[in-house]
Amino acid sequence: MKKPRLGIFKYSCCAGCQFQLIFFQRKVAELLGAVEVVYGRMETDAGTPEGPFDLALIEGTITESWQADELKHVRNVSGFLVPIGSCATNGGIPAIKNLVNEREVEARVYRDLSTVHSVRASPVDHYVRVDAYARGCPVGEAEVLEVVSGLLLGRRPDTAAYAVCVECKMRGNTCVLVSDNLPCMGPVTNAGCGALCPSNGRACYACWGPMEKPNAPALARQFRLMGQPPDEIARRFSEFGYPTHEFQPGVELYRE
Amino acid sequence: MPTRRKIDVGYLARVEGETAIEVRVPAPRGGETVRLRIFEPPRFFEGFLVGRRYDEVGDIVSRICGICPVSHMLTAIRALENAMGIEPSEQTRRLRLIETTSQVAASHLVHLYALVMPDHLSLAGFPEMLPAHGEHVARLLRMREAVNDLTALVGGGRPLHPIGTVVGGFTRVPPAAELAGARERLIAIRPDARELVRTVARFQTPQLERDREFVALRPAERYSDNVGIVASTAGLAVAESEYRTAIGEEQVPYAMTKRATLRGRGAMMVGALARMNLNADRLSAPARDAAGEAGLALPDRNPFHNNLAQAVEVVQAVEDCIELLEGLSPRPERPAVQPAAGEGAAATEAPRGLLYHSYAVNRKGVVERADIATPTVHNFLSMEEDLRALVALLEDRPAAEIRLACEMLVRAYDPCFSCSVH
Repeated sequence: MKKPRLGIFKYSCCAGCQFQLIFFQRKVAELLGAVEVVYGRMETDAGTPEGPFDLALIEGTITESWQADELKHVRNVSGFLVPIGSCATNGGIPAIKNLVNEREVEARVYRDLSTVHSVRASPVDHYVRVDAYARGCPVGEAEVLEVVSGLLLGRRPDTAAYAVCVECKMRGNTCVLVSDNLPCMGPVTNAGCGALCPSNGRACYACWGPMEKPNAPALARQFRLMGQPPDEIARRFSEFGYPTHEFQPGVELYRE
Repeated sequence: MPTRRKIDVGYLARVEGETAIEVRVPAPRGGETVRLRIFEPPRFFEGFLVGRRYDEVGDIVSRICGICPVSHMLTAIRALENAMGIEPSEQTRRLRLIETTSQVAASHLVHLYALVMPDHLSLAGFPEMLPAHGEHVARLLRMREAVNDLTALVGGGRPLHPIGTVVGGFTRVPPAAELAGARERLIAIRPDARELVRTVARFQTPQLERDREFVALRPAERYSDNVGIVASTAGLAVAESEYRTAIGEEQVPYAMTKRATLRGRGAMMVGALARMNLNADRLSAPARDAAGEAGLALPDRNPFHNNLAQAVEVVQAVEDCIELLEGLSPRPERPAVQPAAGEGAAATEAPRGLLYHSYAVNRKGVVERADIATPTVHNFLSMEEDLRALVALLEDRPAAEIRLACEMLVRAYDPCFSCSVH
């Protein structure tokens, strides 16, 4: 059987999701052995971004227009296209800058702004249709393997579509929000991490991004009742996934 | 009259992030023969950290880098502790050193095996290594399992963007039995680490000897620590709080990476070779043996030998962690933090070299100013100067050979362009 042709594309991010693919996750040899890496500049000098690809994996947030142009081209030449990691699926950390006026955030870093070509940070599905989401920061090991094997076997990838709370219950954790009065983002955050933070004595900070249809305003109001200051509530909802309509109400409710 | 050259590497493969290399001989009017055109888009961390609170800064800056997240996290945390007058416990300092040291080994491993080794096997990349060079891949995977599991065990939950490392200490300390198990697994990979040094010692590289100032932290006692004096081979010695008096940075028109210089002195090189040139007297016996066997004579001025220094540092990191884990039985501690207004800076040794973070926070612990300088910011000018020297050295060689040598030189520095445009 011919191996599926894989393309790996990096936009604005830490490249941690690519390091997850080739170094951190426990099935490196199996994954790279099952596909032909046709393009991926961090992995190989061979190949071109022209494709065609059976599967394109996209990491990073779109923050310059050339990235959107290339992304649309990749969509055209790819059977499946999947954003991997929070930057690509929900905007992630790079999207925090969307909270601030673009000129202001640029001027805090650079003196000459004429060579800065930055635009509003957006996740991949803002520009192209996607076939699945592989969430996480870094992208979850199980997500990557499920999405790649699912798509390549012709079935719908089956990844968690519920809140971190469910994983906490499955692990038998005491609720850090109820018992320790910690502003835990677990109730609105997509599961997949195994409830890592609440299992280690801290509140979830939403690094996997919003779950589908969360009740962000209800959690924001709960944080207020718990004594969290308004600016802190806005920060909780804007660390990951600020451009998403899911978290936006949580940011706007008490934003000064 | 030198041969006319026009070489363009449009998107350099097998480095972290996005850069081009442009070679023009003779140099264009008013320009240089070589430019490192780093086209990775700017990321504005120093811009959007303003307004964020001290307890999320570590988690945010971790995302500057996908291979040295712990370094960014801990440098920021130490800078914030300095700003708010917080003194971490002795136990916390020891655990943090294990966390960063294990990450240095991990970063060197992925760099040497996945990004550098294909050049020396005449392969295009890492995936191409899988079928024919299984023994290298197997050794890499054995070692990465041991070091990554240790980073995760201490740092909290996962090696990449760990979740237990916070201002004041750790949200949870690992049980003694698990630390002892991790130590056993490090002992088991000692032969693999030595074999890596032998492999890297066989790499053929150009003789590019060039004087420049090497800069690294000089800790009080150890080979490496998360705190020390910013020192150089030309006698620089400043405290981390005085970093900005010694090192400046400027914007260049063709890259969003700022270019750092030693004020009034010029380029510097940071990283494994710099650390080894400055702190060779502190190497453990096994690391010293490995360096001797590999023929690494210190001080060494050839930037290509940074890779050999990294391999020796894997041996050193494994030994350091084995020593630091010995008999370690942490007691539960809860980090207690009282936010306070102040300014603070910290410098540490990331895998790729000197890393600097500085913050000003208000009385609620909210960031008002952020200043970050990464290893690749420090190495930018040195990489360009070395590329120019290399192009001159290989003047008569075929263009394809010059091109490959330029690519290998930049890779030898182990740059992180994603970090550099933080």
